[in-house]
Amino acid sequence: MIHFNDVTKVYNGNVKAIENMNFNVEDGELVIMLGPSGCGKTTLLRMVNQLESITDGDIMLNGKSVKQSNKIEMRRNIGYVIQSNGLFPNMNIEDNAMIVPNLLGWDRKKMRDRFNTLMELVGLNPDQYRKRFPHELSGGQQQRVGVARALAADPPVMLMDEPFGALDPIIRTHLQEEFLQIQKELKKTILFVSHDIDEAVKMADKIALLKGGQMMQFAEPAKMLNKPANSFVAEFVGQDRVLKSMSLYTVKDLATALTLKPVSESLEAQNINENLSLRVAISKLLNQEADQLIVENNNGTNKGSITLDLIEQFLHREIKESV
Amino acid sequence: MGITKKVEVYLGPLQEKFRRCPPISDLIDYFTSNFTFVLGYTWDHIKLVGSAIIIAIVIGVPLGIYCSVNKYAASTILQIASIMMTIPSLALFGIMIPILSLINEGIGTLPAIIALVLYSQLPIIRNTYTAISNVDPDIRDAANGIGLTTFQRLYKVELPNAIPLIMAGVRTATVLNIGVGAIATLIGAGGLGGIIYQGILRNNTTMILAGALSVAVLALIADLFLRLIENLFTPKGVKK
Repeated sequence: MIHFNDVTKVYNGNVKAIENMNFNVEDGELVIMLGPSGCGKTTLLRMVNQLESITDGDIMLNGKSVKQSNKIEMRRNIGYVIQSNGLFPNMNIEDNAMIVPNLLGWDRKKMRDRFNTLMELVGLNPDQYRKRFPHELSGGQQQRVGVARALAADPPVMLMDEPFGALDPIIRTHLQEEFLQIQKELKKTILFVSHDIDEAVKMADKIALLKGGQMMQFAEPAKMLNKPANSFVAEFVGQDRVLKSMSLYTVKDLATALTLKPVSESLEAQNINENLSLRVAISKLLNQEADQLIVENNNGTNKGSITLDLIEQFLHREIKESV
Repeated sequence: MGITKKVEVYLGPLQEKFRRCPPISDLIDYFTSNFTFVLGYTWDHIKLVGSAIIIAIVIGVPLGIYCSVNKYAASTILQIASIMMTIPSLALFGIMIPILSLINEGIGTLPAIIALVLYSQLPIIRNTYTAISNVDPDIRDAANGIGLTTFQRLYKVELPNAIPLIMAGVRTATVLNIGVGAIATLIGAGGLGGIIYQGILRNNTTMILAGALSVAVLALIADLFLRLIENLFTPKGVKK
């Protein structure tokens, strides 16, 4: 859906911000661009909707060069979410969320229905917030409206520039999870900027790690954590990268890959749902809450037990043997 | 009951109170007996300043907006407007006479209005320029990213958020013009300056005071009135 072909950005004739960037964001994929500040990730994002010009190379959006597209028309077909939410203080929540449909000339009834659907989707009561103004909402609520506004005209592509960066950790986690749910349902093609490796691991289908305007690695989160392409990537993802990668696997993944142990009577036991992540499982074990975890599916059927040994065995298999 | 009679009814008791303070009781006496006369001059003054301010807004706000999109022009335009402010009002009225004499309008309302418009430009242009430039860059970025055209961004987002500051400029200009407008009487434009000027010629302190007081009260009322207008036009979400 979004193809970066040798994209280069040069400022003032000699400062190279982006150098020969090549990667693709496929349909329905959430790609997170990650990197230290000044690595060019935001510039790259803003080049897609032409808020920044492209010096060399091109970006193809749905097979069409963004350089040649009509900027205004193209932007109305791209959802855009920024860190500071950018809601318009002079408009109430409904006008804010419906600004693009309004520009596109939707009729009133259709806009009202769309507003109700969207607000339900982002977890706000439509009638309670319709006539309120942005400054009356909390940061988290404002950002929910920001997401609703970006989704308003049902654009196939979304650009998100650190959308959850300004929120406190609890609200951030909340919104990340809710947004993942929304994404599961809507299957948008999303290009997302973040500087937070945990956020990227949690949300991305693929991560593009940038440094100084160059691509360091472009891979699935698990692969980036288990097989960093170079020392910069290894350092950036952190020494605890194995622990981070654990959140990418569920207990079910382990149960499919290896045979679970039979439940031992002599060990202290606790139950765990098979849809929880291995990270939860390992922290339960390390926390001395139990020596073995009995795996259950949603119906509560016992499928066997896991221990630390088994998790180690699983990781060995994932890191050493997978490609 | 005529208006003069009505005024007498209201101001009479007040005058009794200040019987032992001649400047004030004389002043009240003056207003009571010359009410329609003062009212006429006040109306002339309002017409003069009002038309000047309307013209000044029509010229100044677009210039201020233009300044905000063209920083290069901004410094030049603001500098010219600043220079206008430094010319003493009496000198500006003086300059108007030979220039406008060419079209036989050397004295009267036209030169006065032109001078007042020139005086109003700095506060109006500068406030408009500052207001629009100071709109949160993130909001502007969001507006662009969403696909608003420059014109849509201006009237849907930037101007509504800039109204309080623009109106502050208009208010400054209005109060300033009510003061400067009093001097316009010297080139025959009429207005409350006339009462002060006649007072000076007749060495009549009461008349000078009456004129000055009227100018001050008019300025206060105008400011209050514009505050109401500002309140009316400021979007609810922008009021804090």
